[in-house]
Amino acid sequence: MSTSFEKYQKRRLISSYFSVVISIALVLFLLGMLGLLVLNTKKVADHFKEQIALTVYFKDSAKEVEMEELKKSLAMADYTKSTTFVSKEDAAEAHSKEIGEDFMEFLGYNPLQNSIDVYMNADYVSAEQVDEIAAELTGKNFVDEVIYDKPLISLLNDNVKKISFWVLIASGIFTFIAVLLINSSIRLSVYSKRFIIKTMQMVGATKGFIRRPFIWQSVKLGIIGAILALIGMAAFLYYLDNSFPELDLAGDIKILAALFIGVFLTGILITWLSTFFATSRFLNLKTDELYY
Amino acid sequence: MSETILDLKNAAIYQRESLILSEVDVTVNKGEFVYLIGKTGTGKSSFMKTLYGDLPLTEGEGTIVDYNLRTLKEKDIPYLRRKLGVVFQDFKLLTDRNIKDNLLFVLKATGWKDQKAMDHKIDEVLDKVGMKSKGFKFPYQLSGGEQQRVAIARALLNDPELILADEPTGNLDPQTSVEVMEVLQDISKNGNTILMATHDYALLLKYPSKTLKCDGQRVFEVVQKSV
Repeated sequence: MSTSFEKYQKRRLISSYFSVVISIALVLFLLGMLGLLVLNTKKVADHFKEQIALTVYFKDSAKEVEMEELKKSLAMADYTKSTTFVSKEDAAEAHSKEIGEDFMEFLGYNPLQNSIDVYMNADYVSAEQVDEIAAELTGKNFVDEVIYDKPLISLLNDNVKKISFWVLIASGIFTFIAVLLINSSIRLSVYSKRFIIKTMQMVGATKGFIRRPFIWQSVKLGIIGAILALIGMAAFLYYLDNSFPELDLAGDIKILAALFIGVFLTGILITWLSTFFATSRFLNLKTDELYY
Repeated sequence: MSETILDLKNAAIYQRESLILSEVDVTVNKGEFVYLIGKTGTGKSSFMKTLYGDLPLTEGEGTIVDYNLRTLKEKDIPYLRRKLGVVFQDFKLLTDRNIKDNLLFVLKATGWKDQKAMDHKIDEVLDKVGMKSKGFKFPYQLSGGEQQRVAIARALLNDPELILADEPTGNLDPQTSVEVMEVLQDISKNGNTILMATHDYALLLKYPSKTLKCDGQRVFEVVQKSV
């Protein structure tokens, strides 16, 4: 009889821990996703920035050697990620395919120029730097003109700045909410034991001794919550990586590991601190003050 | 010859700002059994609380088991309480664990390490109060009298120099009160010092002993007949 009663009581206790664990897990999961977003804003932004090409058109008078030389020097430059040489014949072929008729037939000649598409490293994709590079290239006497989408570059940079800023603000707010939520769940569970805490003090236990099992208990809940959050994050990451492989979200294992460890430690730290302060609060009260 | 366990001189006891007792001069010697009587609200509990460090002593002088109550620091309070055994009117057992674990907690909290010695001590004190067979029960499974016996056993764990009992029979029926009183009397006969607050005058008549009375913000010794 009594054993089934005790089991029932234990089950009730476990279900009250359950909600604490779930709230810790959800909050840490959100925090982790935001961390992932912060870590990847640059990567995603860079991904788009590196799609932007600078096209260098050569004069028809440009010699093969000059073009070859420029191609080499571009390949050596810091700002270049990759280059593609498009000969006027290739360009004509592509253009004909695009418009669906062979324009050279009625023109009688190929008006297109030899060109190089320069894809730049993300760090160099800003309006000023691209202007500078374009000016330098235009300066060469065998280069006819350099074309790039200037408004797109400024738009991209502005938006990346804006988005990163708001992601940071959101992470700040979420961290704050996380701490607040976990803190209040733990405060409640400590509050429910305030008379037990007082009794422990009455029989000569030191504050540290009383606090230790409470902290251990909540850190355990924190660890379970963190593990659940990490499983959630891993699953979500797996899904994202499958859906958008080009973003290479799971690429940098080191950063991902740091993020996972960070979320885990946050779970422990928040529960540890919350319990510490919650128990201190009741440990420092005199008996009569517990009833207020 | 007699060793002083508790000594208060011209002490005043406050509950926050309000004065409860003043000009308190009390001495308790080793081995004595002392009653503290008085109507409810006359300051018995505040007096007891001052002795175990739950209320600060801000006026007058006081020493208890070699601790100076005036200069008592927050971090010394646990160590003072280890030299005292406190028994409360409402038992104050740890409701979330069984009797044995209740006692085990106290031993662990007060620095015991050896599991065998702890088991032995628990058996010893439970035997003293006649509760040896109930170690596995939870406090809520025991009657009031049984819980109070366990509380007394708990107070005995660290061989205290002074046992403070704050209305230990206040929540018990007359017959159980007598049983608990017998336990305290036995302990007293073994040489323990006990200060017991009570308003149960029937017990005083049955077990006469030195008696202090709280009345009109004073504490004074009374002779049994005038009670």
